[in-house]
Amino acid sequence: MQNDQLLILRRRYHKLCNCTRLGFLYYTMKRKKSVILFSFVCLFVAPVWISAQTTLPAASELKKLSFEELMNIEVTSVSKVPERLTEVASAIQVITNDDIKRSSSNTLGGALRLASNLQVAKTNSHDWAISSRGFNGATLRNNTLSNKLLVMIDGRSVYTPLFGGVFWDVQNVLLEDIDRIEVVSGPGGTLWGANAVNGVINVMTKSAKETQGMLVTASTGTFLQDHLAARFGTRIDSNLYLRVYGQHFDQGSTKLANGTDARDNWGLTQGGFRLDYYPSAKNSLSIHGDAYGGSEETPIGSKQSGQNLVGRWVHTYSETSELVVQAYFDRTWKYLLASDLRELLNTYDIDAQHRFALNKSNSILWGIGYRYMDDHTSNTFLPANRGLNLVNTFIQDQINLIPHELDLTVGTKFLYNTYSGFEIQPSARIAWMPTPRHTLWGAVSRAVRTPSRFETDIFSPPTLSTPGGIFKAETVVSYEVGYRVRAGERVSLSLAAFYNFYDDLRSFNNNPTPPTTFIFANDQEANTWGFEISGNAVVNDWWRLRGGYTYLDKKFTSKSPNVLPASALIEALDPKHQVMIQSVMNLTRNLQWDVAARHVGDIQSTLVGTAAVGAYTTFDMRLAWESPKFTFAVQGQNLAASDHAEFSSQQIPRSVLAKISFRF
Amino acid sequence: MREEIRYIAPLFRKCFIQTGVVLVCLFGMQSLHAQTNVSKEYRIKAVFLFNFTQFVEWPSAAFSGPTSPFVIGILGDDPFGNSIDETIQNEKVGSHPLVVQRYKDLRDLKNCHILFLNGSDPEKVRENLLVINHYTLTVSDADNFMKSGGIIRLITENNRIRIQVNPEAARTAELFISSKLLRVSEIFDPKNQPK
Repeated sequence: MQNDQLLILRRRYHKLCNCTRLGFLYYTMKRKKSVILFSFVCLFVAPVWISAQTTLPAASELKKLSFEELMNIEVTSVSKVPERLTEVASAIQVITNDDIKRSSSNTLGGALRLASNLQVAKTNSHDWAISSRGFNGATLRNNTLSNKLLVMIDGRSVYTPLFGGVFWDVQNVLLEDIDRIEVVSGPGGTLWGANAVNGVINVMTKSAKETQGMLVTASTGTFLQDHLAARFGTRIDSNLYLRVYGQHFDQGSTKLANGTDARDNWGLTQGGFRLDYYPSAKNSLSIHGDAYGGSEETPIGSKQSGQNLVGRWVHTYSETSELVVQAYFDRTWKYLLASDLRELLNTYDIDAQHRFALNKSNSILWGIGYRYMDDHTSNTFLPANRGLNLVNTFIQDQINLIPHELDLTVGTKFLYNTYSGFEIQPSARIAWMPTPRHTLWGAVSRAVRTPSRFETDIFSPPTLSTPGGIFKAETVVSYEVGYRVRAGERVSLSLAAFYNFYDDLRSFNNNPTPPTTFIFANDQEANTWGFEISGNAVVNDWWRLRGGYTYLDKKFTSKSPNVLPASALIEALDPKHQVMIQSVMNLTRNLQWDVAARHVGDIQSTLVGTAAVGAYTTFDMRLAWESPKFTFAVQGQNLAASDHAEFSSQQIPRSVLAKISFRF
Repeated sequence: MREEIRYIAPLFRKCFIQTGVVLVCLFGMQSLHAQTNVSKEYRIKAVFLFNFTQFVEWPSAAFSGPTSPFVIGILGDDPFGNSIDETIQNEKVGSHPLVVQRYKDLRDLKNCHILFLNGSDPEKVRENLLVINHYTLTVSDADNFMKSGGIIRLITENNRIRIQVNPEAARTAELFISSKLLRVSEIFDPKNQPK
């Protein structure tokens, strides 16, 4: 029956192709942009009245399966729109395990492209420029100066005190283990750690209980040359679960603007474990750790390694009261060959957070945390070694003004750090749910970006010096409004608009008091404004769509005549427009066809020697055959854009990859 | 290798358009072959219900005669559609032929061996469970089902179905749950729950 249909289809489609030689389609074929347009049209014109298609074996076959096999079948090939999102009064977007699996991404950075409220650009073979609501900073060595995002992986903050950003090349979570990634654009300052000025990325992996059995994947392709991963999950005792995993990959190099090989290939090997223990229904304990080592060639040849160990205990007193205690140790080491710079960072962190209902209408969340970061450098920074203290405490009250209808959340975070001392970050949010399907919300918050070693300790005579202890924290006051709507079980839409006012932003100034030519200061202000639209649509049993559009604009002002004109561009290199659409489709019971397309607007000229980055439109595509035990996928990235620059001058290639996975 | 890709790429682009055309056709075709729209989740849950008949033992007192039917009851709106009928078609539990009965309301309820309670209203579920007889394996996917005294709850989490069992409640209903089923299930202990 299925085959017959296909045969008829094939005939029809040959006919159609012939007919269209002279028609509209042929015209569109001739133009690259129109190809994309056509693909979008394909995705959207498809009628919503399409009836459900059988993607399950017949009942008679299902009955032959064991309980274990039945429990392994994915019941919603098309995930339902997450319900609790409607209640969240912030610009949150969620990337699920299935979204990642059905995209063609093979790195965390790639997976983050699926959140349309993030600006994600690949800078070279191994690094990414990732920001939310703008402020993707200029490239520095292998990384970028982007510093207004808080990134957490299973409760562990991965920002570096060296420059306040993230070394994306060493955040290699096994994508199959990710449960969900929550991306909040806008200040999350009240509840989360430092640097949540423009957004929070919260990566959560599955528990060991949810990753039982063996998984082996092997990939080979034109850009990601090889990737091998294995994960094994087992039940040690009735309440004790363990998983261990390992992965290794080698990625090829990009090209320089002139077409020559950029020689920035890299490779990394990583392993880790997670132990989940449920001694009783009221307690759970999770211990997990990772260790990795890798090396990169250009722009700066480097080697890196790291280990981390996290323990978290959750105690539930009642449905409205819970205590979470977490501690972790994180060691990262980096060696940049060209500048002979070695950096060793040891982080020790302990946090506790308690949630309880004060009375019927007040729900309190409060917490306290201490972090000590011991940073050793071999040169470039003075003093070479620094011990950094970070103490933070927060309290938040969620006040239920009208039950199920009007919620007010007020809170503040107090932060003490070695550089700028005491900082206060208050926020207020209001959410109105006129009906269970609609949420209107608004928020005002203040957040700070604490100084990093880059602005305070860098030692690079005779060019650049730092104002030492007088470099202040950068601040933002953010005004947000948003609207979420859920139309039935199948469609949800979210709109968030913001206006941010930044003060004391970092600037590069002409130094009025030589010897050095330039000096850091807090002499920039900026306004940014924009909006984010995102949506999920479950078209039918076998097809769903998600996507979004983000608009962002900004204006910088210098507060001093000494500020170098390029200062604004060093801080913020962002496209004004970006669009992302992901289509997830089960063509037959076993055949999956997925497309993730994106358009990213142009980015203003970067610093001397690099051209502006032009707008580009491209798509990733995946075709996979999947059975309960086996997946074979062919996936392509950047299929519509051959070598193209996304942030720096490195040209990101079009690539194709074959991937095979076994589960048993 | 990269050179090869460059040659393949334009082909790929063309293929993409053609795939698009195929899809448009596919949509057209699909609309002609309408099928009943029962969610995948409930079609699998129907199979779970059937499997319970094989891994739970009912005492002979639960049946009025040696060939009297084994009844799977559905209380409330029926989420299974005909998938449950398809599943149990021509099946027997020992000498008892399987039948499905649907009850709109508690008042319609007759003796049944497995009862699936649909409805997420915990108060209603609790109320329903109070009047259910011995020898009935109560199954639901409602959130508060176990706390209300239900025997088996089907939990959908991370796109997969898990089973939660309260052996104590099963014993009270005079049912014997096989170790094979218990091994793959989570055990619900009413004494060890957060308040």
